[in-house]
Amino acid sequence: MTLDRAGWDKGITYEAFKAAMTRNQERFAENENRVALDPETIRTFKSLPKPLRVLALAEDWCGDVVANLPILGRLAKDVPTLDVRIFYRDQNLDLMERWLNQGKYQSIPVFVFFDENFRELGHWIERPASVTQRRAQERKKIFDAHPEFGSPDAPVDQLPEDVRTRLQAELQKMREGMVSFANAEVQRELRELVNKVAV
Amino acid sequence: MTGKPVKVKITYCAECGYEPQALDLTKALMYEFGAQLSAIELIPWESGTFDVSVDGGLVHSMKRDGGFPQHASVKSAVRSRLVSTPGV
Repeated sequence: MTLDRAGWDKGITYEAFKAAMTRNQERFAENENRVALDPETIRTFKSLPKPLRVLALAEDWCGDVVANLPILGRLAKDVPTLDVRIFYRDQNLDLMERWLNQGKYQSIPVFVFFDENFRELGHWIERPASVTQRRAQERKKIFDAHPEFGSPDAPVDQLPEDVRTRLQAELQKMREGMVSFANAEVQRELRELVNKVAV
Repeated sequence: MTGKPVKVKITYCAECGYEPQALDLTKALMYEFGAQLSAIELIPWESGTFDVSVDGGLVHSMKRDGGFPQHASVKSAVRSRLVSTPGV
């Protein structure tokens, strides 16, 4: 797809994406409600001299989309000069190919920032590396504290069901406990990205 | 093949949207083996997992082997297990 005015209009708005969700709608809404925008984030985006277009590649089944797209959505509500359009990854693989994670993975969400003339200014993929790293550390702590969970690298189907259920609960708790950190890190990276580009 | 029924477990990353692949494999195994299977257990998980085990033996791991399993290779593992565990 050529990214011009016509191509851009094929994307859907954030509100339309939410309305069309067939999965994770409640979780998405909950995440959106608890996004705490850092005043510095709002200041950074509001101080940009020109409007920005933000293309987001997303799917409603993806955990990172459910976690991180609400941050962009909330930001766009507070910063009217951000024009967000969402494109479904699986219906727009030609777009996906342009912003592969490490040049090979179709990771989402992808946020691509453009100026008014569709000149790409920068892009952001999936989640901050700091979040992936912290998650791995916390995961290791869980396994260290619970020898009954076995090795973090062993297939979980080998665990007795009750143990597996407890592991699942621990991992869920760990993720919940990281939401504030993760949201702050996403905002930090988005601020850094737009600070780097001259609009 | 009249071996002891075999249990298959499919662990898939629910956060990655791997349900279609898990369901396709489940359907393929159900049609192929019917009551020769004692159960097919679907385990929603995370971290990009797609593992398949047959009677506790790991026959495919996305992390270890890359990608999704070929249905033929999983069917072959089930057949081997059926042959190696005679029914009672």
